[in-house]
Amino acid sequence: MNGTDSPRAVVELARAKDTAIALESVTKQYETGGVTVEALAGVDLAVETGEFLSIIGPSGSGKSTMLNLLGLLDVPTSGTVRLQGRDVTELGDRERTRARKESIGFVFQDFYLLPTLTAVENVTVPTMFDRDRDATNRAVELLSRVGLADRTDHTPNELSGGQKQRVAIARSLINEPRIVLADEPTGNLDQDTGATILEEFRRICDDGVSVIAVTHDELVTEYADRTVELIDGVIDRVG
Amino acid sequence: MATRNLGRNRVRTALAALGVLIGVFAIASLGIFGNVLALSAEAELGGIGDQVIVTPNQDAGSNALTVRDVDAIARATGSDGTAVALRSDNGLITASGGQTFGQVYATETPGVLFTAAAGTIPDRHRQGAIVGAEIADELSLEVGSAIEVAGARYRVIAVLESEEMISPVSPNNAVVLPESAIGGRTYDQVVVQADSGAAATAIADRVRAQLNAREERVSVFELSSLLETINEFFSLLNRFLLGIAGISLVVAGVSIFNVMLMSTNERKQEIGVLRAVGIHKADVLRVLLAEAALLGVVGGFFGAILAGVAAIGLVFVSPIGFDVVFVASNGLYLLGAFVFGVFICLISGAYPAYKAATLRPVDALRG
Repeated sequence: MNGTDSPRAVVELARAKDTAIALESVTKQYETGGVTVEALAGVDLAVETGEFLSIIGPSGSGKSTMLNLLGLLDVPTSGTVRLQGRDVTELGDRERTRARKESIGFVFQDFYLLPTLTAVENVTVPTMFDRDRDATNRAVELLSRVGLADRTDHTPNELSGGQKQRVAIARSLINEPRIVLADEPTGNLDQDTGATILEEFRRICDDGVSVIAVTHDELVTEYADRTVELIDGVIDRVG
Repeated sequence: MATRNLGRNRVRTALAALGVLIGVFAIASLGIFGNVLALSAEAELGGIGDQVIVTPNQDAGSNALTVRDVDAIARATGSDGTAVALRSDNGLITASGGQTFGQVYATETPGVLFTAAAGTIPDRHRQGAIVGAEIADELSLEVGSAIEVAGARYRVIAVLESEEMISPVSPNNAVVLPESAIGGRTYDQVVVQADSGAAATAIADRVRAQLNAREERVSVFELSSLLETINEFFSLLNRFLLGIAGISLVVAGVSIFNVMLMSTNERKQEIGVLRAVGIHKADVLRVLLAEAALLGVVGGFFGAILAGVAAIGLVFVSPIGFDVVFVASNGLYLLGAFVFGVFICLISGAYPAYKAATLRPVDALRG
């Protein structure tokens, strides 16, 4: 798409309307044991609405850091994070929590479903503390969309890995986000199950939601619109 | 939500709730036991505190109280109580039902000191005998019966109530006769019935000051100051018991602290997910605190119930009446222990909850 990804082009794209989320010359440093580690060293990235982006790279290359920044779970040391054109870098905890809730869905490698809740309850977890809102109907609808219409009242330990991941996807979609972030979504799944999950992501993208997946899995890149490779905190290659 | 989280590790939850239960039970029951002890002691000893007994000081060679002495004591008493002059003797009491040895008191105004169970005690006692409960029982006397004391015949005009309190002038094994029944112009003792324990102390001080100014003519015996000491002792005992109970609740608190800390640590990632999907800190905090409060309420409730049952059980295994168990102050101990239990739970749940809720989502997810 934006084959060159030159900084200027990215900045222009970031401000454009159809950009879901963008990082502008973002750096992130960690202090560990008196040593400063630079996890991200000036990254520019823009993700379009409805785009399926996969981020690959060896471990320690800053993938997770990038995902945390994109997910508003962490703040960059320098640079700007834009969510749908809005600068969200300096937001406080409350606003960031709200922005996450409104715009971003998460899918994790280990699913992280609450073991005491049924599938449908797990899907409604993000809306749990919303008064006057019963998201159960939407949760059931989302579960049937991911093919789990007959598993709504099962608890996570009664579901297979693929089913759990589909519950997690349904959960990430409950608040109608613009972006779904996936951390190794197929990492704990076999090839076939992984493929069904990735098909699921493709369908989400077709509905105008951007999906950003951090992965080691070659399979993911096959389904993605675009793949960026991160090495030592910089974007090395765009596929 | 909180209930289900607690349900996840039933054994640990049950142990924590048991800790609270034991703590609350200890506080409530020890508090109630101490209170019951103090109340029943007060009920038993109450009589002594209000009385001042004045007797001639035999060490100073005085064997009797003169009319002047009695007047002086009455003046010292003033309006704080009533002085009753007594002559006392031991004698053989004979009736149709048999005979027995008993204490014989002679006084003009027995109504101040004694209460009748049957018949009436006249304001001025001029004729007839008033008999104590034990003697009446032993000789099967009732109002109207005839008795003979030291060769003189009397008609019983009243039977006294059985007196359970410890008292220097015990009426149970006594016959109270008119003053003239025991001859002489002197008295053996003066019993001052004061309006209160404090009044008794004041009266005793005044009697000492006025009658013993130059020489120790009389010995003054009053227990109100002793009673105060006893009461102080009981309140000390009570606080001591509560202290021990408090320690057990603190131990329970520590175990709750541990349970909460472990369960939040265990669920760190879960909490991270909750935060990531847009649940606010305050809501996470609320769920965790609700868990702690739930532990406290359940444990505290059953602890208080158990303590109540134990207090009622006390009535059956010891000579304590329901009247000292069912009092408002005991209810207060139950309520207080319950509230304290919940409070301890909230306190020890607060730190782990706060820690978990304020953890950065990234760190929480990393585990």
